[in-house]
Amino acid sequence: MLDPTVLIFLSSGVFLGWSLGANDAANVFGTAVGSRMVRFTTAAIICGIFVVLGAYVSGTGAAQTLGKLGAVNAIGGSFMAALAAGLAVYWMTKLGLPVSTTQAIIGSIIGWNLFSDSYTDISSLFKILSTWIICPLLSALIAAFLFFLAKKFVKKMGIGLIRFDGYTRLALILAGAFGAYSLGANNIANVMGVFVPVAPFPDIQFGHGFSITSAQQLFLVGGLAIAVGVFTYSKKVMMTVGSELMTLTPLAAWVAVMSHSIVLFIFASERLEQLLANMSLPTIPLVPVSSSQAVVGAVVGIGMLQGGREIHWPRIYGIAKGWVITPLISCLLCFVGLYFLQNVFQQTVQRDSNYELSPSVIEKFQKEGIETSGLHELTGKVFRSSAEVVRAVKDKVNLSSKQGLQVVEYSLQINLIVSEEKIAYLDKKVLSSKQMAALSKLEGQKYNFPWQLGDALSEISPEWIVSGGGLKDKLHDRDIKQKLAYLYRIFQRREI
Amino acid sequence: MKPLSLFFKKQYAIEEKIQRLLRYLEDMVQLYQGAFESYLDGSFEDLNQGNEELSKIEKELDDLGRQIQMSLLHESLMPDSRDDLLWFLTKLDKVPSSFKHSLADITLEKPEIPEDFQLPLKNMLLHTHDAVKALANATDALFSDLRAVRQHVEEVGRQESLVDKIEYKLLQSIFENEKFELARKYQLKGILKQLGAVTNLAEDVADAVLILATKHFT
Repeated sequence: MLDPTVLIFLSSGVFLGWSLGANDAANVFGTAVGSRMVRFTTAAIICGIFVVLGAYVSGTGAAQTLGKLGAVNAIGGSFMAALAAGLAVYWMTKLGLPVSTTQAIIGSIIGWNLFSDSYTDISSLFKILSTWIICPLLSALIAAFLFFLAKKFVKKMGIGLIRFDGYTRLALILAGAFGAYSLGANNIANVMGVFVPVAPFPDIQFGHGFSITSAQQLFLVGGLAIAVGVFTYSKKVMMTVGSELMTLTPLAAWVAVMSHSIVLFIFASERLEQLLANMSLPTIPLVPVSSSQAVVGAVVGIGMLQGGREIHWPRIYGIAKGWVITPLISCLLCFVGLYFLQNVFQQTVQRDSNYELSPSVIEKFQKEGIETSGLHELTGKVFRSSAEVVRAVKDKVNLSSKQGLQVVEYSLQINLIVSEEKIAYLDKKVLSSKQMAALSKLEGQKYNFPWQLGDALSEISPEWIVSGGGLKDKLHDRDIKQKLAYLYRIFQRREI
Repeated sequence: MKPLSLFFKKQYAIEEKIQRLLRYLEDMVQLYQGAFESYLDGSFEDLNQGNEELSKIEKELDDLGRQIQMSLLHESLMPDSRDDLLWFLTKLDKVPSSFKHSLADITLEKPEIPEDFQLPLKNMLLHTHDAVKALANATDALFSDLRAVRQHVEEVGRQESLVDKIEYKLLQSIFENEKFELARKYQLKGILKQLGAVTNLAEDVADAVLILATKHFT
């Protein structure tokens, strides 16, 4: 049975989703609605539908990277992280600085990590921070290229004035739909990503073999919140953005929306990542990027192609300032908010976790290439936080950022029981028959560390082996890890 | 069947009205030329008849122009395109008025045209006809194939320049002729200026077509 307080805690995520819909939908349809090319109702319906679709179908990729940065493990913590992000966005908007939920939620997660003494994966943090530079740059490059091509195409085709107007309108609607899908897919991680590790909803099973996971339910709720934001409050923002961008020609406006959508899509699409990996090309990190950054980048790209004279640089500096200040403010707000929520309102903002350096864990470290020569005096020690265990290990041996994450992952103690009734509860579509067969062989087994179940499964069946190799393996490995995470969630539950 | 006609019904409807407007314009320049030539050949009756027909078509053209304006205002075209088109249609509307003014002056003043002016005037009328026809083609291209606009606009300019040359020569011969009284000289000058004004206007509108095409090309 769902605890009703969960809904109260989720309200901050819904608030963040609403504000995202109210503000960022303008990046997608602002030009079309503001210039009265598309009616607001049409734009809102298209935007609402495609945002929900994007969030539900393709929302997981970017959410996983956010989860790596810091897995907020109690719903009280998730509530405060989302609330702090929402308040930071609101505050900065009031100050007239255009900001993004992406920057705000990253700051909040760091705030939670600091408060709960959780380990911050620096490589994931840098991965996300780097996209704050890559995203607008990439968007600018795509926009400049697309604008050049579009101009050539229009010139070659010589389409008449009125028909061109009609084509532009249709193109803006299609680009807007694509943009809304990409916005939902990429930015849902900002809205609901912090609630994913908490998994507040039980998986919903429809008959045999089909289920909606907790994460999917969260994304659906988040997507709907964004859609409500679009319907209830985005009109004003769309009109503002539209009139601000009126200096852009219709073609340039279409290019800006298209480039924004492409950038959001490539930072969210697991299929594109798979395609690149299959072609042995470097993959693009799946991270939530800022819709505003993408649009600003695209407009600058078009402006630079035309000589750069019309670019309003002071406004660009203002936006860049917001990108730095926002995460700092939301980090601070989250830290202070967590303190009050825990000590004044007596709410659980972090779940008690044990990180034990048992002999089996040390052995696992060794197997995974972590230096263990100095760790024997830590054998048997239990730590209360992930940052503490990493600090203790780092005192003895050298650790890379990735190894730091491994230390946290392998030392986290969670008791798992592979029972018959829990195996029967599993979504049959998630696992292959061979994987299922391997799992059935472990019926009745108990484990103190989740990775032990993974290792046991890989010993029985090659279908459970995490390769840890190159680009192609990355996708295969991610698939296995997702399945293992699903098993850990199921087998640690006490009731169904 | 036009491409994607389901999506662009409104656009095609406006295009069709503009096509009709251009056909009216071509009919008017034909009538203007015919009526003027009839007068030169001495048939005042045909001039009157041509004048009446011209007024009739002008009324229909005005109605059609209003319909187009209403469509542009209500069919939610992009404001930028809408403003451009309204500005252009207002300019184009002046061309039919110039035919009317030119014929009205002749009807009212019934000027005596010297024998040796007949052929150059008919040539002026021919070039005026060709200039307006080229203007109609340029406008048509603005709504169908922007690439062809420049070629038609250049043709308008060429015809206008030919009209200018003939007009200047006739004006010269008018004012060098000592047999003409000053009043007659100014009357003939007025008639020539009205005729020349048609191509000047056509060139002016053609420039507007080129501006719109260039703006939407870049």
